[in-house]
Amino acid sequence: MHDDISAAWRSFDLHAPTDEHRLLAETLQTFVAQEVEPQAAQYNREERFNLALFRRAGDLGLLGLTVSESDGGAGLDATAAVLVHEALSAADPGFCLAYLAHAVLFVHNFARNGSAAQKERVLSKAISGEWIGGMCMTEPEAGTDVLGMRSTAVRQGDHYILNGRKMFITNGAIDDRTTGDVFLVYAKTDSKISTFLVEKGFSGFSLGQRLHDKLGVRASMTAELVFDNCVVPVSNLIGSEGESSKHMMRNLEIERLTLAGMSLGIALRCLEVMVGYSNERKTFGVPIREHGQIQRHIAESYSEFRAARCYVYDVARRLDLSSFGNRVDADGAKLFAARIAKEIADRAIQVLGGYGYMGEYVVERLWRDAKLIEIGGGTVEAHHKNITKDLCRAPELIRR
Amino acid sequence: MKILVTVKRVPDPNASIKVKPDGTGIITDNLKYVVNPFDEIAIEEALRLKEKSGGAEVVLVSVGSKTAQEQLRTGLAMGADRAILVVAEQELDSLAVARIFHKLVQDEKADLVLLGKQAIDDDANQTGQMLAALLGWPQATFASKTDSLESEAEKSGTPGIQISGGAAKVVREVDGGLETLELPVPAVITVDLRLNVPRYASLPGIMKARKKELKELAIDSLGVDVKPKLKILRLDPPPKRQAGRKVGSVQELVQALHNEAKVI
Repeated sequence: MHDDISAAWRSFDLHAPTDEHRLLAETLQTFVAQEVEPQAAQYNREERFNLALFRRAGDLGLLGLTVSESDGGAGLDATAAVLVHEALSAADPGFCLAYLAHAVLFVHNFARNGSAAQKERVLSKAISGEWIGGMCMTEPEAGTDVLGMRSTAVRQGDHYILNGRKMFITNGAIDDRTTGDVFLVYAKTDSKISTFLVEKGFSGFSLGQRLHDKLGVRASMTAELVFDNCVVPVSNLIGSEGESSKHMMRNLEIERLTLAGMSLGIALRCLEVMVGYSNERKTFGVPIREHGQIQRHIAESYSEFRAARCYVYDVARRLDLSSFGNRVDADGAKLFAARIAKEIADRAIQVLGGYGYMGEYVVERLWRDAKLIEIGGGTVEAHHKNITKDLCRAPELIRR
Repeated sequence: MKILVTVKRVPDPNASIKVKPDGTGIITDNLKYVVNPFDEIAIEEALRLKEKSGGAEVVLVSVGSKTAQEQLRTGLAMGADRAILVVAEQELDSLAVARIFHKLVQDEKADLVLLGKQAIDDDANQTGQMLAALLGWPQATFASKTDSLESEAEKSGTPGIQISGGAAKVVREVDGGLETLELPVPAVITVDLRLNVPRYASLPGIMKARKKELKELAIDSLGVDVKPKLKILRLDPPPKRQAGRKVGSVQELVQALHNEAKVI
């Protein structure tokens, strides 16, 4: 009996616990190799969004990954979501960020919080990829400090008048002129924050500017969006007035975990490149893997990657997408994964030397991409604050 | 029409295979397993024939360990309708496997059997031929097609095997070219590499596969003689490739090619 238990436990795969996860991983492996990898260098260099590839992800069902089957999605869990982000980011974190902004920040959030009538009208278009979505929280002068936002919504009869500006909105634009199709927009109604569904073409909604010249993740489009007396039908209010903190809370953990998944993909690819190169490149008559300094880069990177991977997937395993309140570990997983991915990318460049500094060897791009995860979806400083607050309030979390 | 497609669980072709020091087999620790790539092409062809005819049923059959469920699930996620696994933990030779398939084809009353031309683990290339002989059915081996894998016909998912009026038209790869055969159905067809590019499972396909039937049969319940007629004596890894050598002049190169490599 004891042997049976340990055998089952030994063969348990944290990264692919069920047949569905394993099949998803197989599909991703082929999709990424055949369709994502070949376009990554070009689209990132040219700062362009690959709409055709995005729609291919829709064809494969990836855009409705975590939406319940009754709502037209695949009904998969947080582990599947991490798996997808890790696989996409191993080839193209820029494309993956556009995917995340749509599938997690918009689709997942909307499917959890939207009404049946709202979902009926919008969800199938978002899951197929016909509509490109995003989420608007950050403003030019309010990021981590969410409650400091200035956007307002005032009800007038059967609509709201929305005013304000939203900044750094992924999928805010799909090129230099066109906004994305549909957004969850947070704005203050009286003193509390409410969530609105704003659609392309609404009167008073426009593209302020598409933001160019980001450090990394350049295949995702980032924009400033302007709401100037924007007319939003009352039927596009999500839930009730003042409910946004609930909507944000419900989505926060999966957002942070999938961002952590992006870091895992970056780290994984950088390690592969580093190890491959150290086997081939020779200095002083021997492969550079023989040098202690290179060994330290590889060994530390590998052990940190494995540790991060266990942490992120273990938090994903525990996460029930219909509940919330697991903030400390979603923050913790992202905090750790973001840092190690950045450091592993840095070591990869160091191991490759001059070649690592060149775009052709990929790690240069991943090094620039890696930094984002320390800022987007919660800054490192926000995670420090949250984790400390949660632990001091409930120290029993440490021993759990 | 009912199409039976065979699926074998084999080591990943991209994995590096190591032979056990005593030569009795290969080292299977941490080895990843996949659907035999030729069988994947057979599944794809069956799905295309089904999509074109509108009424076919695609049944996957496998013989092997319980873990071969994984490969059958992959085929179900691609779009096959149901699967049968004959559970056998022992080693089986090609004839035993052909006999098991023979029984399944009769029980299922299949109209067409598609197999990979060979499995990439032992490369025996005989199960399809033996099965045709046992059934007394016509066979076409190494099915390919005239359109290239980059052609529009391929991209639109047109089957390479054409079935109409009770006959199958099969383009075969033969030495130095292609041969086109016509054979009456029911028939056994084994497929080659250039027949199609197999699809990969979509998420809805993966989720649907969960609810599809995967029936397990104990090998003893079939009443088939599976006693091995063939014994593997030992396995040896291929000889290690020799390191290359730089030569100083064309003359030296010609000499080496003539005297050492003996190729000119």
